[in-house]
Amino acid sequence: MPQVEFPTQSETDIVVIGAGPNGLIAAAYLTAAGFEVTVVERRYEIGGGLATEEILFPHHYANTHASYHFMVDYLPPISDFHLEGEGLRFHKPHGQMGAVVGDDYVYLTNKLEDSRDYLARFGLDQADVFGNLVQRFTKIVEDILAPATYLPPDPPVDLIEALGRTQVGEDMLEVSEQSALELLDSYPLADSIKATLLYMACQWGVMPTESGMGFIVPLLLTRGMEKACIYGGSHRLASALARVILQRGGLIIDNAEVTEITTEDGRANGVVLEDGQAITARVGVLSSLDPKTTFVKLMDPAAVPAEVAQAAEGWAFDKWSLLSVFFALDRKPTFKANDANGMIGLPDPFMTLLGFDSTDDVVSFLTGIERGEITKVAGHFTCESAFDPFLSQKQGEHVAFFQMPAPYDFDWEGEQDRIVAEVIALLDTHFEGFAASVLDTVVENPKTIEQRLPNMVRGSIKHGDYNPLQMGYNRPNTECSSTKTPIEGLYLCGASVFPGGMVIGGPGYNAARMVCADTETKFPFDYPLNVKRYLATYFPEGKE
Amino acid sequence: MIAEQRIQDAAGTGRPAVEVGNGGRMPRRSSYDFVVAGGGPNGLTIAAYLAKWGFSVCVLEARPEIGGGAENVEPIPGYSVDPHACFFYGRGAPGLEQLELGKYGFRTSPAPGNFIAGPSGAAGGADRSMKMDSIDQFLEMGFDVDSAKLGLEFQQKLKARLPEFLRSLYWTPPYDHRWGVAREEHPSVKIFKEVFPAWDDSMLDMSLYEWIELMGVPDPQKCGMMINAWGNGPHPCWKGMAIPAFGVGELMSYVDGMPVTPVGGMHALAHAMARCAIANGAKIFVNSPVSEVLVEDGQAYGVRVDDNSALQEKTIRANLGVILNMHVKQLPELVTRGSFTPDFIQKIDNLSLKGGSLFVTNFVVNEFPRFAAVPEIDGRPVTSTVLNADTPRLLELMRDVHSFRTHPTDPDHFAGVWYICHGAHDRSRVRGGNGNYVLTLNLQVPAPEDHRDGPDAVNRAKDEIVATLKAQLREYAPNMTEDKFVATFVNTPRDSEIRNMAFVGGNWMGMRESEQEWGQNKPLPELARYRTPVDGLYLCHQTSHPGGLVLMAVPYNLMHILHEDYEAVSKTTPDWWYPSPWHITDKEGAR
Repeated sequence: MPQVEFPTQSETDIVVIGAGPNGLIAAAYLTAAGFEVTVVERRYEIGGGLATEEILFPHHYANTHASYHFMVDYLPPISDFHLEGEGLRFHKPHGQMGAVVGDDYVYLTNKLEDSRDYLARFGLDQADVFGNLVQRFTKIVEDILAPATYLPPDPPVDLIEALGRTQVGEDMLEVSEQSALELLDSYPLADSIKATLLYMACQWGVMPTESGMGFIVPLLLTRGMEKACIYGGSHRLASALARVILQRGGLIIDNAEVTEITTEDGRANGVVLEDGQAITARVGVLSSLDPKTTFVKLMDPAAVPAEVAQAAEGWAFDKWSLLSVFFALDRKPTFKANDANGMIGLPDPFMTLLGFDSTDDVVSFLTGIERGEITKVAGHFTCESAFDPFLSQKQGEHVAFFQMPAPYDFDWEGEQDRIVAEVIALLDTHFEGFAASVLDTVVENPKTIEQRLPNMVRGSIKHGDYNPLQMGYNRPNTECSSTKTPIEGLYLCGASVFPGGMVIGGPGYNAARMVCADTETKFPFDYPLNVKRYLATYFPEGKE
Repeated sequence: MIAEQRIQDAAGTGRPAVEVGNGGRMPRRSSYDFVVAGGGPNGLTIAAYLAKWGFSVCVLEARPEIGGGAENVEPIPGYSVDPHACFFYGRGAPGLEQLELGKYGFRTSPAPGNFIAGPSGAAGGADRSMKMDSIDQFLEMGFDVDSAKLGLEFQQKLKARLPEFLRSLYWTPPYDHRWGVAREEHPSVKIFKEVFPAWDDSMLDMSLYEWIELMGVPDPQKCGMMINAWGNGPHPCWKGMAIPAFGVGELMSYVDGMPVTPVGGMHALAHAMARCAIANGAKIFVNSPVSEVLVEDGQAYGVRVDDNSALQEKTIRANLGVILNMHVKQLPELVTRGSFTPDFIQKIDNLSLKGGSLFVTNFVVNEFPRFAAVPEIDGRPVTSTVLNADTPRLLELMRDVHSFRTHPTDPDHFAGVWYICHGAHDRSRVRGGNGNYVLTLNLQVPAPEDHRDGPDAVNRAKDEIVATLKAQLREYAPNMTEDKFVATFVNTPRDSEIRNMAFVGGNWMGMRESEQEWGQNKPLPELARYRTPVDGLYLCHQTSHPGGLVLMAVPYNLMHILHEDYEAVSKTTPDWWYPSPWHITDKEGAR
């Protein structure tokens, strides 16, 4: 009997909750491993943070959420499924960061020697210091942080022992203990360069003074100089993953909000959707939602072990979120040339940092944001359509955004207009005739981020705060950080599980591997080479 | 599993296996059995048909998102609006079951109520979703006794044969004009004659307006029927179009009189089509505008995509055929120069883009309208209501649009404003969680190319039109004061044209649906069977019969033609396919 409508009762091997990057990555691998997979998505469109939408209505598209892709060189599904080329192309601009700090202009590229050439204007020693810093951090990322993204985390004792095997490992341990500010302070850098690097390391939700978060600096600095955009919009990555799933017989159901994860005899065995539809999962349920939603909101309390429920209740959402102001413009913004600081003739950087005077200024700004105060308007700007012509459907017109860390608890209703006016004034100071070129403005504040993508509770773009208690083996708690939960058949696969958010794909990849291991199913791909090398170096006797 | 099956299938038929299975690569030189230019509903549906049939298919879409007019956008967080199509008219489509769209997640949601509210001040209205199964209902609506008897008998006979009537009208390829099949011999006319108790052959010449006048249909029902026809296809005053103009009104009540929408909006339907196509091995590429259909020796062999496209290969070859999900007016500019004769190009130039087009206003509101004269369902307003529905005013509006070629300025001429609130009964539309709703008000305006004051005239008048629409809503629902409107998103026909290259001229219907441009004449007699003068090049767009409304009809009908034209198609007919019982092949027709 042909199906005219999706059945109210259906059965599958695995249900994945949420069609964001991690849900899709997990589903893609599990379909490739031979499982029957159904992905359920609450929104009308898949992709979660991989969203490219016509919010500047009509005919201007914007990446409403993820626009900078830090890990495309490492993401295993891109190579495993040969995604690149099939309507998915990455574009890595040469100019990665142009920071106006006080009167200085710090221009960083994805080629070390080009960056050093520009920095030599601050003194030849500065170019050298920067070179040494990048070399050191690159080793840590290439040898350890990048491969460890695609493996389950280790208990601290095991990790310390493993990393002790090499000098880079020892260095990584040393870096990790410090705060971002301490780590950067250990380099004799000009203040404007330091301010730029500190912002790059902390902008997505790390307090500069928080000890134990130092590892974020190498990661976000080296990857922050390798940012890519996706040609045609970030949503293309979601579409490419969806194609893999569908081609292998998987299903994606959108407009389908999960209201319950069902259990039977302590085993997760399916989900119920808002309209009463039930999908039974023979093998398991993967949730890409945060632990509070997964364990407290969607599950019968009796089915959740006390320590897991308690940890979930104590889950801290991001300490700050983002304010993004999207613009449709009648022309491409042109940087006001300033001969004095040597910015003439440099190509538009992917990210332009505006509004800060010094390192102290960055620290006090972020401290203010953490307290819930916006002490000034400062942040980063990108003209997306300068790199991706498809975002503006009307020739000659452009799409751009300004983004800054922003608190969730804030009087957005009362203050937003004033702040947006300040944003436009700031941009007008730096770009020729900016204010006059604005055709349309759309604002996403932390509250509207939550409305659009409700799994980003309190506007948490990473599903949960980055602090030492919620990172590594502790993310989201020691019971669940391997993606496996104490509830049989239930796995976590979202940004709230190790290693975290920012479209790095680790949670989804690790969850798919975990399901295969638990069901004694052959995972259809080898580890990437860098992961193999990491395992051989640091876990020569094997890893648990 | 499907992917592996596809590799085997391809191997068995000797066709090139296009990358499927475990991470194959795009072949160095991209070629497919069929290349579909355009990823609107008709392009996606034909791709799904051909892929499920076993062919390798590629769809190339210019925009960042598939779906064409079957789209949803979320310009403000949590509220999905329909800038274009918004009701599901295709429940009679064989494609629903042939392509098993339900398997790919397709679900519908009831959109209860289809109310017609007379001019403001006049009490009462009519509920178009009533069952109309007793004489009292007709009398209550203002029919006289004879008309009521006739109406009831007609409704009863029609009800029994509605699916058959609609499939013969929409889901059957038009006959070739050269066969000389008399008008009354066309299957939909034959069925209509059998169900309409007072049939007279002169009705074939009538417009819907003339026919319902003759039947004694009173306002506001009469005006409602006319609005429906105008908004969805043939103008109610166009001669010889009474049956199609009536049929278009019946599409929505196909099953039980209850209009429906896809859960989540029309884009969900596009998703189901695309997922069916992809699951069966089709490739769909967005941001890939087709810049040329390549023709050599009168045979289409592929397309060229825009240099900016992310695809590595700029030439995509078609081993069997190229299918254009594009406006017929795009044919001459897209196809290799010299492929058409000057007289043929002239005929295409002459096709009229006149006719109404919709000014769509989506409002985010913080309260439901409380209509004084319209009943509520479960404490919420009905999904759909036509406001200011009165025949004299509607005729004035029609004259504004068609004869004076301008949009209305007099509030009295804002007739037949279509109020729609999907979120009233479908929770998937309102995710924002702060008590707001999305509602839509649609008004007919001239297609931009036809506007007396130039294509941007309506865009310039956006604010005034929106203000008048709000004021009019307030007359029926006095609670809708200015503070109830949170945000406004307007999609004018001109915006549609910019947003979507295949809405040439900004006409929602693609082109006029008059008798000379309908059925076996649509868009031109020589193009009616979806073929073009170029071998291997087919039309699959709403500018072919039976037009728009996301019916999945053009692709279903086109499959009949491909079945005739390609042995590769007819020899591999799958068991899930069934043709229209009224289909006549060229061989049969020529006899």
